[in-house]
Amino acid sequence: MLLMYAWPFIASVARSFVDQDGRFGFGNYAKTGQLYLKDLAFTFSVTLFNTVAAAAGAILLAVYFRLRQNAVSRLMASLLKLPIFIPFVVVAQMMNSFLAPHGLLNTALAQIGLIDLERPLQLFNFAGLSFGFSWKQIPFALLIIHGGFQMIDNSYIEAARSAGASLAKVVWRILIPMNKSSILVAVVLVYSSIVGTFTLPYMLIGGKVPTTITVDIAHRVGYFRDFGVANALGVCSYVLVLVTAAYYLRTKLREAR
Amino acid sequence: MRNRVLVLLLATCLVMGVFATGKGEAPKTRLIYMTAGDVNMLALGQNVLGPGFQEKFPNVIVTTIHTGPGNAGSQMILEKLQAEQAAGKKTGDVDVAMVHEIFMNWALQKDLLLSYAKQAETWKYVTSPFAKMSLGVNIEGYGIPMFHSQTALAYNPDQVKNPPKSYAELKEWVKQNPGKFGYNGIKGGASGVSFVMGWVYAATGKYQKYAITGPFDKAEVASWEPAFKELKEFNKNVVITAGNVGTLDGLNRGEIWMGPVWVDMFFTFMNEGKLNPKTRMIVPDPGMPGQPMYFVIPKNAPNPELARKFIEYVTSPAVQARDIVIKFNWYPGIDGSFLKGAIPQETYDKIYRDVTPQDLSKKGLSFPLADYYSAVLESYEKWAQ
Repeated sequence: MLLMYAWPFIASVARSFVDQDGRFGFGNYAKTGQLYLKDLAFTFSVTLFNTVAAAAGAILLAVYFRLRQNAVSRLMASLLKLPIFIPFVVVAQMMNSFLAPHGLLNTALAQIGLIDLERPLQLFNFAGLSFGFSWKQIPFALLIIHGGFQMIDNSYIEAARSAGASLAKVVWRILIPMNKSSILVAVVLVYSSIVGTFTLPYMLIGGKVPTTITVDIAHRVGYFRDFGVANALGVCSYVLVLVTAAYYLRTKLREAR
Repeated sequence: MRNRVLVLLLATCLVMGVFATGKGEAPKTRLIYMTAGDVNMLALGQNVLGPGFQEKFPNVIVTTIHTGPGNAGSQMILEKLQAEQAAGKKTGDVDVAMVHEIFMNWALQKDLLLSYAKQAETWKYVTSPFAKMSLGVNIEGYGIPMFHSQTALAYNPDQVKNPPKSYAELKEWVKQNPGKFGYNGIKGGASGVSFVMGWVYAATGKYQKYAITGPFDKAEVASWEPAFKELKEFNKNVVITAGNVGTLDGLNRGEIWMGPVWVDMFFTFMNEGKLNPKTRMIVPDPGMPGQPMYFVIPKNAPNPELARKFIEYVTSPAVQARDIVIKFNWYPGIDGSFLKGAIPQETYDKIYRDVTPQDLSKKGLSFPLADYYSAVLESYEKWAQ
């Protein structure tokens, strides 16, 4: 474990302080700040927005599947398992042709007269990226959160209902609080997977400004063989992930107490 | 039941193994061909060049080893040869290698290559300036280009009646047609990188210094700021596409009317029906970069004679025509005029219609020297974003 996980991690942090001439210092971070600050902010906002969106979408669907168990909901639930098994590179290629200015979505909208194909929706940006992430991550979060909801006994819901609680209250006061830990797990997993995703941003908005730091890392390595700045960017992504990891640990510790 | 199937399977493997090895012929010579580049380079070696050579030389087995795309792939070959040199290995493992331009500089500095090219029978067909100089270094005699790939601006003649003939005209065109020119920036593939290199050549007029003679001069970099500021303005009216393929797809779907592409990808897409057949190409003045890939023989190659025969085979007009031009849509590594009889006139006209041999020799530029290359990319990130 030490060799396979700890060592690469430590080495990556250490090398982020070594510049291309082999000197020790903060040069890589200075360059990161100079060139990639925008991309860092972009990555953070994409990640944050999509984590919240995935969690909210997944909770809504999970609540629906928990409370309405019929043929339709069962069919939906099984269809929504599909995206979990589809790799990001396939999702990216799919989104690429679906969201393109003259892609499937825009052509369809133009056919029914909603948009003008001369001025199509531009979706190779934050919006399209978010659509792709939601497509892939809501089902994933749903799997975890729905599992948690299944564990909650019907009697709690019935008791609240007979005491006169509205549906919204049942969700807000019973289901979500009782399922907090699996929601938290879903949020942490979705968040860290979005920070680290390369293919989807690369294939949708690779050359654009701003882009995500994973694309920048590939650029530094591919064109400059500059592992210093690449590692510095990597460390920045660890820090981004650390935010949620710390929150997760704190909550777990509090629960344990 | 399952066990029986397993036993049967194993037995079959065993029998096949015995047959495969036990033919009892004279031992065959193994020719190790190591290639950098994308997976198409592996396919070329494994499915086309290897079998073709084995047919002519039945006592040889060509083994293709693939190291990966881009300069990184060439770097892996370099590391292998350097390690053998450092270990003092008189006879190495690699017979022939297929490498990028930058490799030539690295390998010649370390004295890793055999000077074989002028003894090759096919050297007489080689006229490309890329066979003499690579990124500012004299490499004559050490490599023969297998193919040349070039970038150009592709456009749809229905919408673009008079394509811009230079970068200056392109700037005007983009102002008049906002959102109709697309390229993939510098992080989405090399056609965009090539476009930006051409931009710098056009803006500075210093192609000779940046790509041929050198030397690297840090003061030059600061002088690029206005050019990149202008590129930033230019970018406001263009679409940044999703990669080399994204530009071609955008052209095909009519989202953009013009954009830089790799010529070989352009023809491959066209042949596969993925690109509007009306699409044409033009190389704007002062030109756009392209690059060859070279055959080299390491100094410690186990079978240098055979390696040269292999290279002679691939650089012969017949194979250049059939495999390099017709199958893989590259420009030949040898002079195109020797191919005239070997490829159908139709194909010849197609590949040289828009980008003529004269265009290639005049406007088929090199990428800049390594230091300038990095400096251009970083300046783009600093000033044009």
